[in-house]
Amino acid sequence: MQSFRFVFLSFVLLAPFLSSGQNCSFSISGNVTDEGTGIPMAYGTVYVEETQSGAASDSLGNFKLNGLCKGEYHLQFNHIGCETRTLFISLVKDTVIRINMHHHSELVDEVMVHDHHSQHETSASSTVGQEAIAETANKDLSEMLEEMTGVSSIKSGAGVSKPVVHGLSGNRVAILNNGIAQSGQQWGNDHAPEIDPYVAENISVVKGAGALAYPGGSLGGVVLIEPDEIKNDPHLHGNVNYIFQTNGLGHTLNARLEKYDKWAAWRISATAKVIGDRSAPNYYLTNTGKREYNLAAQLEKHFNPRWEMKLYYSLFNTEIAILRGSHIGNLTDLEDAIGRDVPFFTEDKFSYGIGEPRQTVQHHLLKLESMHIFNEHQSFKLTYGGQVNNRKEFDVRRADRSDLPALSLLQWEQYLEGIYNHFFDHNRQLKTGIQLRLTDNTNNPETGILPLIPDYRAYKLGAFAIFQEEHKKILYELGARYDMNHLQVVTISQSLPREIERFYHTFHNYSLSSGIRYRVLPQLKLNLNLGHVLRSPEVNELYSAGLHQGVSGIEEGNRNLKNEQSTKAVLSADWNVKKKLFVQLLGYYQYISNFIYLQPEDEFRLTIRGAFPLFSYQQTDATIAGLDALVSYEPIESIRLVAKYSFLQGDDVSNKQPLVYMPSNNLFGSFSYSFKDGEKMKNTAVSVNGRYVFEQTHLNLNQDITPPPTGYFLLGANIGTTFKLKKTKLRCSISGDNLLNAVYQDYLNRQRYFADDLGWNVNVRLGLDF
Amino acid sequence: MVFSFNYLFNIMKNTKNLLWALPLFSVLLFTACEKEDPIILNEEELITTLIYTLTPEGGGTPIEFRFEDLDGDGGNAPVITNGTLTANTTYNGVVSLLNATESPAISISVEVAAEAEEHQFFYEFSTMSFSGGFDYADADENGNPVGLQTTFASGTPLTSTLTITLRHEPNKSASGVSDGDITNAGGETDIQVTFDVTVQ
Repeated sequence: MQSFRFVFLSFVLLAPFLSSGQNCSFSISGNVTDEGTGIPMAYGTVYVEETQSGAASDSLGNFKLNGLCKGEYHLQFNHIGCETRTLFISLVKDTVIRINMHHHSELVDEVMVHDHHSQHETSASSTVGQEAIAETANKDLSEMLEEMTGVSSIKSGAGVSKPVVHGLSGNRVAILNNGIAQSGQQWGNDHAPEIDPYVAENISVVKGAGALAYPGGSLGGVVLIEPDEIKNDPHLHGNVNYIFQTNGLGHTLNARLEKYDKWAAWRISATAKVIGDRSAPNYYLTNTGKREYNLAAQLEKHFNPRWEMKLYYSLFNTEIAILRGSHIGNLTDLEDAIGRDVPFFTEDKFSYGIGEPRQTVQHHLLKLESMHIFNEHQSFKLTYGGQVNNRKEFDVRRADRSDLPALSLLQWEQYLEGIYNHFFDHNRQLKTGIQLRLTDNTNNPETGILPLIPDYRAYKLGAFAIFQEEHKKILYELGARYDMNHLQVVTISQSLPREIERFYHTFHNYSLSSGIRYRVLPQLKLNLNLGHVLRSPEVNELYSAGLHQGVSGIEEGNRNLKNEQSTKAVLSADWNVKKKLFVQLLGYYQYISNFIYLQPEDEFRLTIRGAFPLFSYQQTDATIAGLDALVSYEPIESIRLVAKYSFLQGDDVSNKQPLVYMPSNNLFGSFSYSFKDGEKMKNTAVSVNGRYVFEQTHLNLNQDITPPPTGYFLLGANIGTTFKLKKTKLRCSISGDNLLNAVYQDYLNRQRYFADDLGWNVNVRLGLDF
Repeated sequence: MVFSFNYLFNIMKNTKNLLWALPLFSVLLFTACEKEDPIILNEEELITTLIYTLTPEGGGTPIEFRFEDLDGDGGNAPVITNGTLTANTTYNGVVSLLNATESPAISISVEVAAEAEEHQFFYEFSTMSFSGGFDYADADENGNPVGLQTTFASGTPLTSTLTITLRHEPNKSASGVSDGDITNAGGETDIQVTFDVTVQ
């Protein structure tokens, strides 16, 4: 909204400057500033592709290009340690522009873009930018976010991970792909979000409690995947990215094309990923390969300055192999597997093959958005989102039944949203919205197995209002939200004869949030955010019935669950000392009453496959408290040191014991050196980084089958440069992960019972921008 | 409330541009009806019943050990029938697996026999002397035991538990596995049931 309004206003403001002219004596002048701090950036370069000439900015960030003819130009802006900015100008008159640069290392993206994004927000957020995405897109979406403080991943082996924000994940973290809440089977820890990171310009995590504009229930935080607008440039542009990884001999290829045609602006992106068996330091992780084929298309049409429509479609298509040695029949098998040096079924040969157990998932997203600007103060946006998710999970089964899925779910969702924005004046804004969501989930009976999650249909109606006012150094925000969730569940009875039973639930949730940002000094900013959010129990918590394979436990839903009620306070301070030192501290405390969790029962459930531990969904009162700290120091312009620390502690207050599956505390440090830009080589940098993950000691021994793994240290390094050719740019880099080939297991990886985590890996990346 | 008036006014003014949403809205309304009934699926792979029948060599009344759980993992608890054997008798054992939710019951043992190389039953006794009297009486194509057919010499009066385990895709060539030692077998457990055995 914000950015659109800005773009719209810029058109209006620039229009008078773009009137006619004849000769070759035009100039483009302007000022280069740091996007985060607004401080002018000296010694940046401006390069005009068409004339192959350029200029540098002076100590005040000013630059001027003279002697340009009337015509169309592509400008490139470079600054050490920054992402290259490109701009298209149709020059008809002397033109003045202002360029904001942002730092390109993913670490400082977090620092600087944080600043940028929170300009009109009072809740803390972190962002991964486009260059970092292109560099790491052979990883899963969730693994990219791990770079941020306070964010980790819960994994089921090498190919499946989902984000954990301040200790919460799954149903409690909303993932918004292009503004639409990702549907699909988000309840499962072994169900990764079905999103291709390449479609995003940036991926941010909102950690505060104030994310009221998004569908309810996001107690933990919100992950936003935001594609950028198509640049106003009538020429065909695009890029090709390729990544090779040694661990798993993986190939990742993405191509993207875009053009701002007269009839409409369009963009197409396609990705293919083929990865084979990964390896732990001492053995292959047999059956851990992956295939992924994704497609996205974006169409934008500006009918007039007051009306714009956008159409977006994406297809995500994946097949993921699950470690063969982690497939077990009962608790005895699990105990057998835990004691082994090398997992069962480990082959001594590498393979691209994908056998059972495996998952296949297809996810379609269609989005249609219509933006209406009524006048300078009012705008209205209507959005439709449709999603179809088809998930099949295949197990090792008898009598050629392995080709039949053991779990087969088809989910579709329809979403309609209307958002009205009112700017009273420059400093006050009211945003209101209504959201309607219908989700339908159906089990395909082809499995021949009673479903773990029943068929259901869920209706959600939500409405919210957020008011914001900026007064001198203070920006404050007040918001309220109401959600009504109606659930129709159709189950097949556990006892004989099998009968169909229907259940109905209606939940009412309200959420309140307030935030304040106080700019104490230009360099020091304080944010306080308070929120009270209710989340209604999801179908899996109410109606799960059956064996959860990976953990060898029988999980039983609880039909009497009530709403979870969370109160969270987040206090953060950003301090910037003379552009050399940046310190960000964020502390949070969250109290959740009626926190829904899986309680191990004392009894064992006797089945024909042996006795299984029984887990039932229960409610308790819980607290989560933590600290995220980040320090970035640049003693001289070419050197940057970064240190990050995340601390978190979760407790079950009623039962006086720690919460399980809380992320371990961790410490990250990096050193990077950027070389001066040369004639042909730009953005040349080397870096070394290390991450230490502490042992999760805040846990009682009886809360898990094995004690949490010990702490571990991972060493990484990166070297990269960009070659500038006439109209194209070639980006090259090589990076290494776990270079010491450390043998380790991670507490949040469910496969730690069966195998070691990944061994060393080198990524080679090539990217071509044109 | 000035803004809300403006809001409505402006929406009215722009109604034309918003017409595209109408069909979508009606789709939403149209689907807002009762969820249809699921198909009650055919649990063809389900094993409800294990019967271990021991027939005295040279004739006599067969003894039946039976584990039956008709409604699967949830619902009612399984029904277990234990047996009493006569001392100093050699028995021929046959294990039979059924899906008794179907009528007539489907034999799952046939599936196991068809994939004999990928399956093995293990018989574990809590009393050591019982183990000595036990032996496999069948083999797959590679000459490794399957355990659908067994022999058991009861010996002196004692009591023991007997745990019968069926492993899918065990490593039959691992140490001790073909002698009936489950320790290094690996694979997944398809069946694990425990009976009380009395010899008198």
